[in-house]
Amino acid sequence: MVRIENLTVRAGEFEITDVNFEIPEGKYGVLMGKTGCGKTTILEAVCGLKNVTGGKIFVSDRDVTNELPGRRGIGFVPQDGSLFTTKTVRKHLAFSPKVRGWKSDAIAKRVDELAAELGLTDLLDRKPHGLSGGERQRVALGRALAVKPAVLCLDEPLSALDEDTHAEMVELLKRVTAENGITVLHITHSRREAELVGDLQFRIEDGRVIGV
Amino acid sequence: MHPILRNFFLVLTALAFAGCGKKDGTDTKPLVMFCAAGMKKPVTAIAKQYEEEYGIPVEIQFGGSGTLLAKLDIGKGDIYLAGDSSYTDLAKEKGHVAETMGVAYMRAGFAVAKGNPKGIAALADVKRSDLKIAIGNPGAASVGKFTKKILSKHGLWDGFEPTVTFPTVNEIANTVKLGTVDAGIIWDAVASQYSDLDFVNVPEFEAEKKDITVGVLTDSKQPTEALKFCRYLTAKDKGLMVFAADGYEPVETADMWAKTPEVALFSGAMLRPAIEKSIEKFEAREGVKINPTYNGCGILVSQMKAGETPDAYFSCDQSFMTMVEERFSKPTTVSANEMVMLVKKGNPESVLTLPDLKKDGLKIGFSHPKKSALGALTQRLLESEGLYKEIMDTGNVVPASATGDFLVNQIRSNALDVVIVYRSNAMANTGSTADVDIIEINRPKSIAVQPFAIGQGSAHPNLVRRFYETFVSEAGKAEFLKYGFRWELAEEN
Amino acid sequence: MSKSDKPFLAAISSLAAIYLLLIVLMLVADAIYGFRAVPFSSDDPDKASLVKIFTDKAVINSIKLTLFSCTVSAILSLIVAVPTGYLLSRYNFPGKLLVDAILDIPIVLPPLVVGLSLLLLFNKMPPGGTSFEDMLNSLGIEITFNVAAVIIAQFSVACAFSVRTMRNTFDQISPRTEQVAQTLGCSRARAFFSVVIPESWRGISTAGTLAWTRSMGEFGPILVFAGTIPNKTEVLSSTVFLEITTGSLETAVIVSLMMVTIAVVVLVGVRMWDRKNEGGLYHG
Repeated sequence: MVRIENLTVRAGEFEITDVNFEIPEGKYGVLMGKTGCGKTTILEAVCGLKNVTGGKIFVSDRDVTNELPGRRGIGFVPQDGSLFTTKTVRKHLAFSPKVRGWKSDAIAKRVDELAAELGLTDLLDRKPHGLSGGERQRVALGRALAVKPAVLCLDEPLSALDEDTHAEMVELLKRVTAENGITVLHITHSRREAELVGDLQFRIEDGRVIGV
Repeated sequence: MHPILRNFFLVLTALAFAGCGKKDGTDTKPLVMFCAAGMKKPVTAIAKQYEEEYGIPVEIQFGGSGTLLAKLDIGKGDIYLAGDSSYTDLAKEKGHVAETMGVAYMRAGFAVAKGNPKGIAALADVKRSDLKIAIGNPGAASVGKFTKKILSKHGLWDGFEPTVTFPTVNEIANTVKLGTVDAGIIWDAVASQYSDLDFVNVPEFEAEKKDITVGVLTDSKQPTEALKFCRYLTAKDKGLMVFAADGYEPVETADMWAKTPEVALFSGAMLRPAIEKSIEKFEAREGVKINPTYNGCGILVSQMKAGETPDAYFSCDQSFMTMVEERFSKPTTVSANEMVMLVKKGNPESVLTLPDLKKDGLKIGFSHPKKSALGALTQRLLESEGLYKEIMDTGNVVPASATGDFLVNQIRSNALDVVIVYRSNAMANTGSTADVDIIEINRPKSIAVQPFAIGQGSAHPNLVRRFYETFVSEAGKAEFLKYGFRWELAEEN
Repeated sequence: MSKSDKPFLAAISSLAAIYLLLIVLMLVADAIYGFRAVPFSSDDPDKASLVKIFTDKAVINSIKLTLFSCTVSAILSLIVAVPTGYLLSRYNFPGKLLVDAILDIPIVLPPLVVGLSLLLLFNKMPPGGTSFEDMLNSLGIEITFNVAAVIIAQFSVACAFSVRTMRNTFDQISPRTEQVAQTLGCSRARAFFSVVIPESWRGISTAGTLAWTRSMGEFGPILVFAGTIPNKTEVLSSTVFLEITTGSLETAVIVSLMMVTIAVVVLVGVRMWDRKNEGGLYHG
């Protein structure tokens, strides 16, 4: 679950104040808003990549407002995937477990598992160069999900995809998160997309978040 | 640990070992020499020879004389050999250089392409409109300064426009070699390194030689070793031979090489206290031996006439130098010593003037007139006062001793009542001034002047000259004054 | 290619060609001058020959020292430049403009001044009595007029170039990748080593070779601070200088051509190795 209380965040000249919303456990939340209205900022704040000037952030009922990004139980998929260009897909999936000290056989097992779940098994030894848009998104997703976070944050994951891949991706996201009971915070500028994926929808208007 | 981090540490460790391991394992500390780049060939050869003979390495840093000058300041070097003496002099003025030794001479002239195609033959050719000429920058290169001086002297500098000027002499030579100019005014020693260039002498340049000197640095941590190498470099039979082979004209007054040269010094006995300390200091600093023979000058002169050839003679008086002057180079008067009368403390006999010596019952001591300058001068003094015969006739004078020191002892032990000695004899011992009183004479002929001269056939003329410079330095002068000598040498300007 | 694009290509190619031609012609001039004057071997003790030059102990030691010192200097430059470039790229702090300017100073200072400054720093500071050099000497470490001075002199200038290169490299890598790594559990340090450095391998390679070649060409600071002592602190660049000052222009040119050859071999080698590792220095 993820809950935001009275959050105030500053991003350069720009400030978002008194953000309040909650996504119950296992639910798929979508935050909509025009480009540049602050939704990415809120996402970054939730992930711990931006300093908050006021308010609290709760993940699984734990106050993570002052925690390091890696200690919040959150997986992050940025807008263009931001893959590691010099590492293989396998290394992407194994990255988080390795950093967190998992044993190598546990890592290998998890990698195979994830690859199967996301259809990446044939691509395991490829590097990001030459992968299609959809494949890259799946790798980014797998990387974020590797250690089974409680919450998954997605920044416009579908914007760059073509029609067919779009539909595939929507289906994949819903299935994977539902199967693993992951709470999702998905931000987008498209209302249609929000309606396709989300259990809950929020909207940013005039610097405030309102439920829909 | 992360692979990248691990590799970095491995590299760092390897570096640390590699870098540190670059130190000498040997005990002999090398000499550090700053040498003008133009002399690389002869100096490298001499240093190599020296290392082979004595096992001491010489680390040479080459560069422009001016650039090297900047390095003298940091106190890490031992020797400085500049492309010409004006730099060495500058270094001496700044206090970086202690001793200097002459190496060779250079003359300026025109370097031209082989065969002298443009037919350059006279100094006035600099004004030829069909010639491209390169010179040294008068502000930066000593050859440039020299060029300007000579050209100005002969009225050729005004209106002279060189095609190009360079800050170092080698660059001038290079540009002639490459054919970008027709001639360059450089040193003959530099020109001889360029086998594809010819050199044209002209009388106006020939008339003035420039010299190259090597200097030992004041901050050197191994002055004795540095001096030794410099002696080797400037030795007639060692370093200078290499320079001559490379087209340099070596200095005429050069020492023969010896690892520990021995200098035979004949010195009037009365000078002993004044120069003893200087001898010690000099021996220690240069690592050489000075063998002084102190005696009455009369004896010394006889020895010389019998065939002895000392490297130097420091005489008690001018008259005794004149007797052997053909054996020595031109003497320099260093000090003066007044003759005084010594009487027992309290002057019980009341001897106050020279005529008082005629008093009855006095036991008088004089130095031997033939064996010592003191004796001869005493005789001369008394004769000039018209007293000599009378005093001798009184029978008061006991048989003469050879030296003033002996007379001082006799008066201290009460064997005599009055003696005539040098003031320095009296002041040689702090004890003696307590036992006796000094009675001034102050007559025209009561002063002896001491000249110093270097032997004509000496194998170590420069070494002796440096020794001379030691005892006429401020510290050396103080020793003379301490013992009652007067200083006669004019101040160096 | 459409007709209208051909003139454009011709124009930019010509400009490139002119400069290339200048460089190649310089080398050709050197080669002709040098090889015409210096025979392969010679019995005359006064005449230089290729055999003599390349079997001269001093020249061989000079080559060895050059390779060693340039490599060490390049490594040190990278060790400093990578974190410094990262700092300048990712962080803001008071006085950053000033720091930026200071880091460019070694590029602007005339090389001889760099050498003189180092000489003064080590031997005349701190003022009054024991200098840094004296302190180090008492610990058994000798810098001035030793190999260490060669490396320090080269590093002082080369690093400035590397810092600039790395700063640009990091500027072009989106901070997102590090941020993702952080969310995956990396500390900033770990993110730096595991993600940022592999991502910037091309920039690192460029910065490293730039430092290496810059070190090789530099001789002013070495001349003053390390002295060009044959068999001890003489490197190829100072060998060339010495040969010129003693009028052996042909030998200077030959040695320079050798330097160029070594540099080209290294540069091409590094590029080829880069290409082989396309997609990663460290395989994932």
